[in-house]
Amino acid sequence: MAALGARRLLQPGRRWFSETVSGAPSPPASPLYPPVVASVTAKSKAAKSRRLQRFNERVHAAATVEEKLRLYGKLQRPKYMVYPQTFALNADRWYRSFTKTVLVPGMPPRAAAAKLPVAAAGTTPEDGRVPNPGAEAPRAVEAPGTAEAPAAAKTPEPAAGAAPYLDMGELRSLACDALLQESFYQNKKRPFLYRDQDHTPGPFLTQLVSTLAAFLSGRNPLLAASSLDLNPEVNYYWHHGEEVVVHGHRKGRVDPVRFQIDDNPHLQIRVPKQLPKVVPLESDLGDVPVIDHKPSKLPLFKKQYENKVFTGSKVADPCCYGHTQFHLLPDKLKRERFIRERLEDQIEVVYRSNGIASLFAWTAAQAMYQGFWSEADVTRPFVSQAVVTDGKYFAFFCYQLNTLALTAETIKNNPRKNICWGTDSKPLYDVVEDGNVKGFNDEVLLQLVRFLLNRPKEL
Amino acid sequence: LFPGVRQAQWLTKTKLVEGLPPAVQGIVDNPAHGLQELEERAKQAVSHARLWDTAEVAPRRERYCPVLFENLIHICRLMSGKYPSLSKRMLARNCRIAATWERESILLQVRGLSGILMNSTTPIPPVASKEEILATKEHVLETFYPIAPTIDLQEVNVYKELNDTGQCFGDGYPYSHPHTLFFLESANVRTDRFRPEQLRAKMLMFAFGNALAKAKALHGDDPKVLEQPVVVQSIGTDGQLFQFMVFQLNTTDLVSNDGVKNLVWIDSDQNLYEKAQCVPEVKKRVVTKPAGISGFQPDTFKKFLALYLHGTV
Repeated sequence: MAALGARRLLQPGRRWFSETVSGAPSPPASPLYPPVVASVTAKSKAAKSRRLQRFNERVHAAATVEEKLRLYGKLQRPKYMVYPQTFALNADRWYRSFTKTVLVPGMPPRAAAAKLPVAAAGTTPEDGRVPNPGAEAPRAVEAPGTAEAPAAAKTPEPAAGAAPYLDMGELRSLACDALLQESFYQNKKRPFLYRDQDHTPGPFLTQLVSTLAAFLSGRNPLLAASSLDLNPEVNYYWHHGEEVVVHGHRKGRVDPVRFQIDDNPHLQIRVPKQLPKVVPLESDLGDVPVIDHKPSKLPLFKKQYENKVFTGSKVADPCCYGHTQFHLLPDKLKRERFIRERLEDQIEVVYRSNGIASLFAWTAAQAMYQGFWSEADVTRPFVSQAVVTDGKYFAFFCYQLNTLALTAETIKNNPRKNICWGTDSKPLYDVVEDGNVKGFNDEVLLQLVRFLLNRPKEL
Repeated sequence: LFPGVRQAQWLTKTKLVEGLPPAVQGIVDNPAHGLQELEERAKQAVSHARLWDTAEVAPRRERYCPVLFENLIHICRLMSGKYPSLSKRMLARNCRIAATWERESILLQVRGLSGILMNSTTPIPPVASKEEILATKEHVLETFYPIAPTIDLQEVNVYKELNDTGQCFGDGYPYSHPHTLFFLESANVRTDRFRPEQLRAKMLMFAFGNALAKAKALHGDDPKVLEQPVVVQSIGTDGQLFQFMVFQLNTTDLVSNDGVKNLVWIDSDQNLYEKAQCVPEVKKRVVTKPAGISGFQPDTFKKFLALYLHGTV
């Protein structure tokens, strides 16, 4: 070997001595040698970054969205399973840090400013069917009704658009009918153990949303083209931050932290056109909490399985944008349990964490269906809404996805943050007895109606 | 085993008419209802239920049958933007139905979970004219001599004669008129599903049970010929094949074999689409069948919608 090597060294050496330096170096048409880049297979940081770069190029160059999604989630490694409905303490702070979300209390300004012309207290709901609901309802509607009536009277007709007044009485009767049917009129068997939510609030929510959506479809053409899913599946997989692998044959390597959300909303409405953005793409409305601990301290557990990205139906569906999701909190997370364990402040945390996680997963999956991903960040904000309820208390959330770039490299120069507006949970009614709904709260119903009527400006 | 509908006819003292009643057919043919534009949406609904609904390759029947039904009902419900009185309907799932009647000294009873029921505040107007009702007097019910008509029925000792559409509903329920019953055959295994003939018989029995209970609630328990016939519709499907039925209860006098009979219009075995291909079929590197829904029949959806709109339009 050494002799061969020496001979080889001699030969080019001889050539080097014998060659005369040629004339002016003619600029070659193309570079003589391929570019000097890091190796692909070596165990070095440069090689790793080269492999990452090649992977990114492969995903960028994918022909269809399905191919892109397949390549994006091809490598399976242990990842944290993030549950939107969780009993973990202060989960909403953790979830906000995982998804780079800013929480703004209250509803976004456009939703509050759009004062719907509401029919004044003059229209009483149809009475005579149920033994006096009429006595309760006008009294409940009196106070807001008289406040609304002067405002409604002053609103000029053109501002109200061509839409006639929204009949609060009609809506209230629809909601009360749905509630009474599920809880009072229909003879059902006793609820199964710990399955209270499937017995009454679940069907009530389904009925309420379907009848309200049908009723309001005359006003909102987007609803008329919508698609209603019962019990769909929403999944999203992403990387955020870095960690060192603790044990195993890959010990010591620096890996991105992987998360996966698998969510089952009770109900969701998908539409063919996107909802309008609430604030511009680059707005900064607050701070994202920074948490120094590992995600497993939340507690969050790791598992390795298929990396799914799914909005509720496949890419081929024309209704690919999301409108509103409805979530039902399970029995495990009911208010009485928290009060019993003296954790009253965690009640709101449950609603918030559910809203943030589910909406992030949904909007991000919608963005991926349009071809954006962490290396190709979104060029327009994706907006969706959600209502989280346990049957009686309703909390409303609106989410605007401004960025998908959450991985360790892409987050460095990314000033954008996702924004989530959320309210506290308010009761829709006080109690149902004897065929009456007592203490019906019109505000909650109005907010729900505003959510359903949300549509792009052109429509 | 039997052509089940004929047995059910005898048990419920009913005369069968093929095809849908003219009132419903009129709604189908009426262009003012804008049924053409809904074709596209119906096709999307079918594609969603059969192809796009799941993260797996193809959804199973247990999943796509209810999803298809929900999608079609959603499209129908959205028509209430155009016809506001459609919002006076309420869907009730998992209701139990129980009705009892006597038929030539045999006590019969219908019990069980009757699928999904849609109720409305207003009853459906009678579909057959008075002459047709009187004409049924001449109709002779088929008997199956020597087979007893109660073959294949379970004989039980009944201690309480229940008569509720019991409804599964208390008093003062505003949506008190049963409008349409929906039956979804969504078992994955073919042997667990009802065959079309048996499904039609089941639909007839349950429609009859609902109508009878409603009639008894309205007019009392005595057997008589009804002044205002009670009409209940019924739709059954297994995700692809649809059976439509309109049942009119003319009489609660079921003991004797003659007199006015009840009427039922059945439109059977309507295919909504021929085939739903989830993955394109490729033979020898050539795509023989592309992915998608093939052979979509808009008429079936129009009939579905017409039955939904019947009574308010």
